Amino acid sequence: MSSKSRENDDNSEGHSALKEELNKQVKEQKVVVDELSNLKKSRKVYTQQRNSNIFFLADRGQTLSSSKKKLDILKKELQDM
Amino acid sequence: MAEKGEMNKGDLGGVFRLREEHEKVVKDCESRILHWKKVSGDYEALNDRLKTLPDQLSYDIMVPFGSLAFMPGKLVHTNELTVLLGDNWFARCSAKQAQKLVDHRMKHVKHELDDLSKTMKNFEARVGLVKDLETISANKGDCVDIREEVRNNGTSVTKGRQRIAHRPNSKPKLDAVLDLKEEDEENDGEDGSDEGSGKGILTEEELWARLDELEKLEELEDDQDRLSDNADMNGEDTSSSSSEEEKERDAAHPVNGVSLKPSWTSVPHSIAPPVMDRKQEEEEDEEEEGNCLPTIFFSHTVEPKKVRINTGKNTTLKFSERKEQKEHSKRKKKNGHNGHSHHELHKITTPADIYRLFVDVKNGEPIPRKSILKSRSRENSVCSDTSESSAADFEERRVIGRSFSYDEATHSDTSDGNADEDSPVAVPLRATSRFEAFSGTVIEKDPMPSAVPHLTITPPALPTILERKQEEVASDFAPPQEAPKKVSKFKAARLQQK
Repeated sequence: MSSKSRENDDNSEGHSALKEELNKQVKEQKVVVDELSNLKKSRKVYTQQRNSNIFFLADRGQTLSSSKKKLDILKKELQDM
Repeated sequence: MAEKGEMNKGDLGGVFRLREEHEKVVKDCESRILHWKKVSGDYEALNDRLKTLPDQLSYDIMVPFGSLAFMPGKLVHTNELTVLLGDNWFARCSAKQAQKLVDHRMKHVKHELDDLSKTMKNFEARVGLVKDLETISANKGDCVDIREEVRNNGTSVTKGRQRIAHRPNSKPKLDAVLDLKEEDEENDGEDGSDEGSGKGILTEEELWARLDELEKLEELEDDQDRLSDNADMNGEDTSSSSSEEEKERDAAHPVNGVSLKPSWTSVPHSIAPPVMDRKQEEEEDEEEEGNCLPTIFFSHTVEPKKVRINTGKNTTLKFSERKEQKEHSKRKKKNGHNGHSHHELHKITTPADIYRLFVDVKNGEPIPRKSILKSRSRENSVCSDTSESSAADFEERRVIGRSFSYDEATHSDTSDGNADEDSPVAVPLRATSRFEAFSGTVIEKDPMPSAVPHLTITPPALPTILERKQEEVASDFAPPQEAPKKVSKFKAARLQQK
């Protein structure tokens, strides 16, 4: 009996960790979308190249839309779990 | 129930651990997979960027200025890349080539990911199995564990002490050897008559002690030898003791398994058994002195060329150069000028002596003799004392003298077995040579001890005189016979027949 409970604990731990991670990501993404939507039109947006320190100039509208998409995907994942 | 519970706890401990280990492996796999996924994502992003990079001539970018600051800049040369090949080696290439490289690396990453996922699945299955086992062993009492305990006190079962595997080159344990020895001693206590039949093994200390003893003995013997160098030791009786000695040796040798004693030492027993008391050893040594096996021992001393022959009858014949030299000097004294006296004919010890027999020393140079037959055939020409003019005559006369002396010597040999250095019959060879060199008058005037002139003159003189007489007679009777001698042998024979 104890082993079973432990199993559940393990599963829940892993689950919770994943959930927390996802939640964090969702929160971040929400912040990103809010920031991007509240930006003035004259502002420039740079996106960081992954795994490097270089920032490429990007279009504000495109980034906003892509970030929104990402947020949706994350929310779905969170709901699935 | 409580017992059962405890048993299960002990049982389940192993199973739990097994499950934990499996889960560890699974987790490790997961973390690795995550890492590889990240890498693959990076590559994907890079690939995307590479696809679009050569589309424009230049890009506005923020150039990192240290780790915290950025500067606005422009990215130009969009189709020129340097790719890290590894170990700080870079290759310059275009975006397309870089994409190919990225694809190649992605393959590798995918392969890794597949392997990891496989192992993870495998271990997950194992974890499931272990879980099943746990549930079975925990919940149901149907399963019975069959166990057989291994007892630690195996000595009670196996006879004697446990056997230890020695390393090939290692010595056996010392205390084991000691134990053996003790046992042997006990045996001896029971039957002391046999001389250590069971003492095959000696401890190292005993061995060394024995060796030291033997060395001392040897030194003592050497000293004795030196003292009694001239004294000939004649054995009392050793023929009887020989067999005993041999027996003893036979008994002793196989017993002493390891004979470390060198063979040249005078003590035949290699290692006496340790229990043998000192007295016995001494007795043995005494016996060994009268050791009857004829053996030749070479004693290592400072003396040059000293050979001691132990004939086994307590007689030791010693040949040392010194001694020989002494003897030589003695003879020289006796014989005065005649250095090489005739006794050498009897004492032929070396090839040189034999050579000396058939060789004359003239002016320090050895001159080989002519054969006796030859000389006799031509004897007639050499008759008179006055014919000293030709060298050939000298030779002839010398030969005659020598031959006679030789005959004399052999005679003396036959007459008394031990014809020795002092035998008056022996005639020195040199004397004859001298005689020839300086004529007979010198010999007569030779200031020698009474014996020597007698030696020198009489034996050769008599025969020579005889010969001369014969010759004279021959000449008297048949002077014309000298003529036919010049004729060939065959002719002479025919003449005689007539």
